[in-house]
Amino acid sequence: MDILRNVSRNPLGLTVPALTILIAVFGIPTIFFFFASLNAPEYSLSNYEAFLSRGANVRILFQTIEISVIATLLCLAIGYPTAYLITAAPKRARVALTVLVFLPWLTSGLVRTYAWIVLLGDNGLINRTLIDLGLISSPLPLIYNRLAVYIGMVHIMLPVMILPLLSVMQGIDKSLVAAARSMGARPFTAFWRVFLPLSLPGVRSGTVLVFVICLGFYITPQALGGLRDVMLSTFIANQIETSFSIGVIAAAAFMLLAIAAIVLSVLGLDMSGERVRPDRFHEEHWARRVFRSSIVTRGMKAVADKFRAARWTRQLYQRTGAGNSSALAGSVFLALVMTFLLLPGMLDVVMSFSGGAYLEFPPSTLSLQWYRSFLGDPSWTGALWTSVQVGLIVAALSTIVGTLAAYGLSRTTPRIRSSFTMCLMAPITFPAIVVGVAIYFGMAKIGLVGTVSGIVLTQSVGATAYAVVIVSATLATFDRRLERAALSMQASPIQTLVRVTMPLIRPGIIGGALFAFIHSFDEVVQTSLVSGFAIRTLPLKMWENMRNELDPTIAAIGSLLTLLPILWLVALYVTWWRVRPKVQAMAQ
Amino acid sequence: MVNAHTGNLAPASAERACADESPLAQIEFRKVTKMYGGVVALRDFSLTVRKGEFLTILGPSGSGKTTALMILAGFEAPSSGDVLIAQNSVAAVPSFRRDQGIVFQSYALFPHMTVRQNLEFPLEMRGMKASDRLAKVDRMLERVHLKDFGLRMPSQLSGGQQQRVALARALIADSPILLLDEPLGALDRNLREQMQSEIKQLHREFGKTTICVTHDQEEALTLSDRIVVMRAGRIEQVDTPEALYDRPTSRFVANFLGEANILSQVGFEGGAPAGKIAMIRPERIAISSLASRPVDAENRQSVTGHVEEMTYAGPLRKYHVRVRDEVLVVREHVAAGQPVFQPGDQIQLSWLRSDIRLLAE
Ligand SMILES: Nc1ncnc2c1ncn2[C@@H]1O[C@H](COP(=O)(O)OP(=O)(O)OP(=O)(O)O)[C@@H](O)[C@H]1O
Ligand SMILES: [Mg+2]
Repeated sequence: MDILRNVSRNPLGLTVPALTILIAVFGIPTIFFFFASLNAPEYSLSNYEAFLSRGANVRILFQTIEISVIATLLCLAIGYPTAYLITAAPKRARVALTVLVFLPWLTSGLVRTYAWIVLLGDNGLINRTLIDLGLISSPLPLIYNRLAVYIGMVHIMLPVMILPLLSVMQGIDKSLVAAARSMGARPFTAFWRVFLPLSLPGVRSGTVLVFVICLGFYITPQALGGLRDVMLSTFIANQIETSFSIGVIAAAAFMLLAIAAIVLSVLGLDMSGERVRPDRFHEEHWARRVFRSSIVTRGMKAVADKFRAARWTRQLYQRTGAGNSSALAGSVFLALVMTFLLLPGMLDVVMSFSGGAYLEFPPSTLSLQWYRSFLGDPSWTGALWTSVQVGLIVAALSTIVGTLAAYGLSRTTPRIRSSFTMCLMAPITFPAIVVGVAIYFGMAKIGLVGTVSGIVLTQSVGATAYAVVIVSATLATFDRRLERAALSMQASPIQTLVRVTMPLIRPGIIGGALFAFIHSFDEVVQTSLVSGFAIRTLPLKMWENMRNELDPTIAAIGSLLTLLPILWLVALYVTWWRVRPKVQAMAQ
Repeated sequence: MVNAHTGNLAPASAERACADESPLAQIEFRKVTKMYGGVVALRDFSLTVRKGEFLTILGPSGSGKTTALMILAGFEAPSSGDVLIAQNSVAAVPSFRRDQGIVFQSYALFPHMTVRQNLEFPLEMRGMKASDRLAKVDRMLERVHLKDFGLRMPSQLSGGQQQRVALARALIADSPILLLDEPLGALDRNLREQMQSEIKQLHREFGKTTICVTHDQEEALTLSDRIVVMRAGRIEQVDTPEALYDRPTSRFVANFLGEANILSQVGFEGGAPAGKIAMIRPERIAISSLASRPVDAENRQSVTGHVEEMTYAGPLRKYHVRVRDEVLVVREHVAAGQPVFQPGDQIQLSWLRSDIRLLAE
């Protein structure tokens, strides 16, 4: 009781466990690491100079930015129209399409990269099909180049771009666009002047998130790129494996972090997932005002006015042809995007049943040989078992501390809430390799490299971030009046928590636990550093195999990991959507 | 009293008669049906709206009011039937070429634009020169008493102010047709009454053909030249407010507008014709003590009963009177020297036979 009373007076107390883990595992090492980059205790910029004095390093730095920028722009160019079309679709289709976008996000990134190797390789599906058809005589260079890197990165990041866009676009009042049209705005004008400006917060969130995560990409450029397509993360990982000069590694990591931090602070990241509310617009955006009042804009507008005036009188009450072609184009575009997102995984599932000596599509004979070789090999099953164990521990730990933190934060002011959430989210918004190196550095200091505890702590930092985000989102829709109602009916605070609050936010907690588990189950970059080659989780073992040979066993594992998300979704559906009507009924 | 009423309205009726003769039936729905999947939102909806008329569509929730408006605005296509504006079918005319001013239920003010930019938007779409726009927006802002609010964002306005901006934005481009979808739905009672007279005045001033959707009967009675009462996608009755209140054709309309006493057993002398029911409005019933004798008794029908309940409602007194198995509602203006009856009092009710209305069941 006393604890509860304290909590209601000072809800931030609930964030202590999560923050403790975050600071101990990630915060403190990061600070030490930063000093190391400055050559403490002498303090000099020599590490940065050493890094930047080598032309090759500078090239890698710029290349990292270049690849991230292009991948982000590609994601935006594909993601924006996709999100727009999904938003415009009828309700059922909208739900289905959202799930389809969501699905690959739940599949391990490693598996998705592997699927592209199988598709694009010299012996891959596309080349073999083309050769079999007699269209080409020797394989096209589809893989181990920049294009393959972009394909792989966009494939992985597209859902991350689309989901914030969707959430903002679905919050835009449809009658605004209708209003614009009723006032004479043609469809494109209505979009440009009304829908687009209102969707910009989503564009901003999606772009920043995708760009910052891209900066830390390691697996995809490594697996799909050529020798020249190195990103900074590869450089850092190589340094750790070969030379281990901590100062230079730290300098490289902090330069990457600085880029991420600049982008994050300039553009900001709104992860609250809140809808566009009209009261967000307190004044006209300065950029808009400047743009609007510039001479060029005004000149162009004057010309546009003349044109519009002529057109208005000419076209008033004119009929248009039935606009089916644009609807058709939209459907085709959506179909292509969905194919791009889902096809690699599905092909992988089908090909994993191949009976031949290598993967084929369609399989000429069916067999379970690759599943047998997976389940029959103790090194694979051992890795699987390790992953499951670690995943369960990580999920339990981060769900508990994450839920407590989210619950505490839901009781504070919005400003405190958003800054604390930003901190807790750092491990998943900062480039993965930077987080990994810092944690590795700390773990090495206290001798936890190569231990299960080390891996659990490492993964918990990121998993907690997911748990906090998802539980917070549920709490945001939770009606506090229900708690007050329970208290007014003489329920004790504990009874209120157990009987009212918990049942209502349980779906969020389960969702958070699922994401925490998935994070742990998929994590490669940070885990590979901290494992010190002593412990093999399933993704680590897969990554090792992928680097050495193209073992079709991975296809079987990949297929299992692709089908797993469908189980996740069913689990989510059962817990999440089934309670919804109940909650709604209660709210009314 | 009746005479006084109609007397008041005579000029307005005359005007309407004139409008009738003008060939400009501004808007015409011809047997419009709209289906959403299996749901029929609108069935055989036929309606003619005259130029300059203020027409209100009234009906319970889900009766198809918004659907009718959205079809006219061009946001939904009718499943069958046709819509004509100025005698031309607009089936293939997209909404942005229909030249209508619309006030949406939620106002739909652009949240990222200032009040001024919101008002400029329709002018800009028509290609009006920047300097002309400026002058026009100034004039309009003044007209709706928002002169000093031009640079505010919509979120910084009160509900009533937002509503006026929405109205101004719909009026500013001089579109001949004005559509209002529950324009006052979100306002409190005082503000609503204020805005009603404001809308009425704007209508008088600008003379736009106006269709207003509402489910507030008082609003409909106050504002409209004619009212369309809808029920489950069909038109139940179209008439002037007075006619609708005074001569409803169905029980639904009688109950929907104001209170109605259905005289099923109390005795419509001679019995109601088959399939019809007798109805009388509460204010048409006189209440008196058993001893008193009504004037012109030969035209009146009277019954006896006892008072069950009496409530004051400002200038009105409302009685619930039990007559045999039925309870009749009686409404009486409070006047000096009138006897007040208490629950339990035996009293006599009477009404003019001509005040009884026969309705379809
Ligand atoms: N987009 C839609 N899809 C499916 N059914 C719809 C759609 N829009 C309206 N309907 C149905 O059509 C019927 C009429 O709806 P409409 O919105 O016209 O009602 P309304 O009279 O405006 O009601 P309210 O007073 O509640 O606004 C309702 O039964 C509604 O459920
Ligand atoms: Mg409606």
